Amino acid sequence: MSKLQLRPTLGAPKPYTFPKPSRVRVGNGTVVAIDVPGQSYVAVRLVQPAGGAAEPLDRMGVAGLTNESLEDGVQGNSSLAPALERHGAEWVSRVTWDSFVTGVDAPANRVVDATALLAEAVRTPALRPQDVLRRRDQLVERFWLEASVASTLAARSIGGQLFAGRYATPLSGGPARLQEITPELVAEFHSEAVASVAGTLVVVGDLTNIDVAELGKTVFGDAEAAPARPVTTPGSASGELPRILVLDRPGSVQSALVFAHRAPARAEIDLPRAEGMSDVLGGMFTSRLNMELRERLGYTYGVGCRFDLRRDSGVFLISTQVEAPTTAHSITATLAEIERLQADGVTEGELAAVRESNTVGLPVSYSTARSLAGALVEMVVHDLPEDHVDRLRAGFERVTAEDLHQAAREYLRPRESVVIVAGDAKELRGSLEETGFGPVEVRDPESLWT
Amino acid sequence: MYGLVTSIGVAGRIGQFTLENGLRLVTAPAATGQVAAVNLWYGVGSRHEVPGRTGFAHLFEHLMFQGSGNVAKGEHFEAVERLGGDINASTSTDRTNYFETVPEHALDLALWLEADRLATLRDGMSQEVLDNQRDVVKNERRQRYDNVPYGTALERILRLAYPEGHPYHHPTIGSMADLDAADLDYVLSFHRRHYGPDNLVLTVVSDLDPEDVHERVRRYFGGIAPRGTVAEAPEAALDGPIGGPVGETVVETVPAPAVFLGFRVGPYGSREFDIMHLAAAVLGQGQGSRLYQRLVVERGLAADDGGGAADLLAFRYTPSLVLVSMIARENVSGDELEAAILEEIAGLAEGVGEEELERARAVLERDHLQSISTPSGLADTLSSCAQLFGDPELAYTWPQRWADITTDDIVTHAKRLLTAENRLVLRFEPGAQPSAEAAAEVAESGTGLGDETGVEHGAADGAAGDPAGAS
Repeated sequence: MSKLQLRPTLGAPKPYTFPKPSRVRVGNGTVVAIDVPGQSYVAVRLVQPAGGAAEPLDRMGVAGLTNESLEDGVQGNSSLAPALERHGAEWVSRVTWDSFVTGVDAPANRVVDATALLAEAVRTPALRPQDVLRRRDQLVERFWLEASVASTLAARSIGGQLFAGRYATPLSGGPARLQEITPELVAEFHSEAVASVAGTLVVVGDLTNIDVAELGKTVFGDAEAAPARPVTTPGSASGELPRILVLDRPGSVQSALVFAHRAPARAEIDLPRAEGMSDVLGGMFTSRLNMELRERLGYTYGVGCRFDLRRDSGVFLISTQVEAPTTAHSITATLAEIERLQADGVTEGELAAVRESNTVGLPVSYSTARSLAGALVEMVVHDLPEDHVDRLRAGFERVTAEDLHQAAREYLRPRESVVIVAGDAKELRGSLEETGFGPVEVRDPESLWT
Repeated sequence: MYGLVTSIGVAGRIGQFTLENGLRLVTAPAATGQVAAVNLWYGVGSRHEVPGRTGFAHLFEHLMFQGSGNVAKGEHFEAVERLGGDINASTSTDRTNYFETVPEHALDLALWLEADRLATLRDGMSQEVLDNQRDVVKNERRQRYDNVPYGTALERILRLAYPEGHPYHHPTIGSMADLDAADLDYVLSFHRRHYGPDNLVLTVVSDLDPEDVHERVRRYFGGIAPRGTVAEAPEAALDGPIGGPVGETVVETVPAPAVFLGFRVGPYGSREFDIMHLAAAVLGQGQGSRLYQRLVVERGLAADDGGGAADLLAFRYTPSLVLVSMIARENVSGDELEAAILEEIAGLAEGVGEEELERARAVLERDHLQSISTPSGLADTLSSCAQLFGDPELAYTWPQRWADITTDDIVTHAKRLLTAENRLVLRFEPGAQPSAEAAAEVAESGTGLGDETGVEHGAADGAAGDPAGAS
């Protein structure tokens, strides 16, 4: 093997700066744009604040159903997508807890036409009652289809275990609440929170021949400025902590595991410390949990963790799917890794990995129009400064081993957590009780949302 | 609608080089700066597997991350992750793909890591590593196939579509029994037979000068000897229809009845494939497609899949499959849904409108252009076109293949190919769950329902056109 080269020593990376977006006020809205010459697919996103968190408890799911119903277009009958398809464009939309996002990805030379379709779909959709009912019934059925996947079932049950109020029910409203949303409620929500609200338009791609202010004019029309959003901390679910909830899934050859507890809100958390710590625990392939559960024990195809951060609250979750007989040991092994991180902190190697992966890798993270647009949307939703990415990078450059150790003690709360197991209750119950983690409750998944 | 994005000018900027040891290098410019997308397609996939050794190409892909002569177990992943890079791999019937996108200054490291495992993987291999990754792959199989509703669909479809002993009769993930039987000697011989620079297409998408990239690749890969003998793939040629209708009905714990229909069509790259690709788009790609408009919107028979009911399983070296699948709504029987789908399929032979064809063309073109609009997506498509067709420029010109296909072409081909004689039918009906052991004996699919936690590692699927892939 003498012909092989020695491992290369890398030079310094080129310094990276997140592209400075242009910002234009148009009517009561704002257009935020990044020009990426050569990027021939343009991402266009309209961001409005009407997310799920603001829904009254008797209208849970109305944002999601409205968002979905916009795809029926101005003529109804699912007419929007075919109209976009003719321009080589694609509808991109989602409702999060904190935002109502609609948009298109379109070839640069078709972006004006595609944006006009976006504007009319958002401002003047038909919202025919029969279309809304069809969408609603489909969503309800799809909820159960999707919940037949163990990991999805477990993920959707997190809110009800940690929160009281709106977050206790899935973002979509869940099948029971969603069934109560009428076409009239959708029309009312659309009129008050979508049609009449200007919002912020994000545009990313090759903008050489595109007048972004004109795009803004098309989308905003004479809509009003977005209202301010109050932030109040949600209450917690009742029940003893920590505990184990088993969602019975007889015959499962694997168990889907979610380990979840509450975390601070997006604005209250120190991201480099929190995410750096999360990276070490389970946020990377080479994280402690993946190395232990996958690469040493062979229990799983993969394990990960992350913070799910909202304007008024947050959740920290670890998620994996393990071979059924290893379920209890997977839980105790996970707890042991958390305790080890809290007791001993991180190694110098882990600190370096956190720093490097969150700084030198930025050109990779932002190598697509979609990812750049995603970053801008996040800045809009969370009121972040336009140099947010650069500030975050600077934060990671400064982070110390002591910071990450402290973050492990501050942000990881195993004694305040719920472990959700979607698996075979009969097979698992005894061994789960033996872990001593907390009381074990078994539920039929069908009883969760009805 | 052809010509959504002008790309012909870019094709001239592709660099193509062949090293003395047979390695084919492709270079192309990136749309965003400061990155290098590195993509390798080895010409080995599950079609090279023989009975009793299924799942091996894919298990092997896992072993490629477990250390080599100068790289420790897990170090490849760690090195690229520290650079904030994207890294993964996938295996399909026709190839094994490794890829990483790194900041530009780290290109040499990515090349060195890839060269090291190509040249010296056998030095890093041990029984312990093999045992661990065998367990990981068995859990991948459980997670993606055995523990998911409809998860066994693809495995069953391949069994129905290709005869016993045919190299596409089994799925890439392989069987649990064969995975258990994998031994270290076979791992080592597999590497010797299939992993050589002469079986590799390496693509680098970056803003670097092509000659500079060429020089670097020569530095790291130039000293690696080609394989002594070129491994032959088992014969995969196949003529004629499926000999249908053939079918199977599975009764197990699924949330609703589901219908899967398959039809043999030409290999990936043939004109027949292109025509049927458009036919499938007319039928079931996008919300303007017939199956969506008729069965989801108008008749309310099928669950809303957003417009993804028909597609092709693209196989380069044997007939591909047109695959149509839908899940029934509440109170709709599998029989009713199957009859309704068959009605729409039969309708294709009765005529296709110009506007429908234009919409279908626009959808396929959009999907293609989107897939090459990112550095890593472009690198993957260039590797594909070079490895499968010997011509990376096809990555830019592929939509031209659809430009002159007419409504008559679709009707004629639908009449000939979408027939009962060429049809397989797989049905799932809700019922009692079989024992775990029975469930573990059969398995696999790329058609099951997805996961939504979004936090696990190593689960990225293969590239478009590789629905039989596993990663």
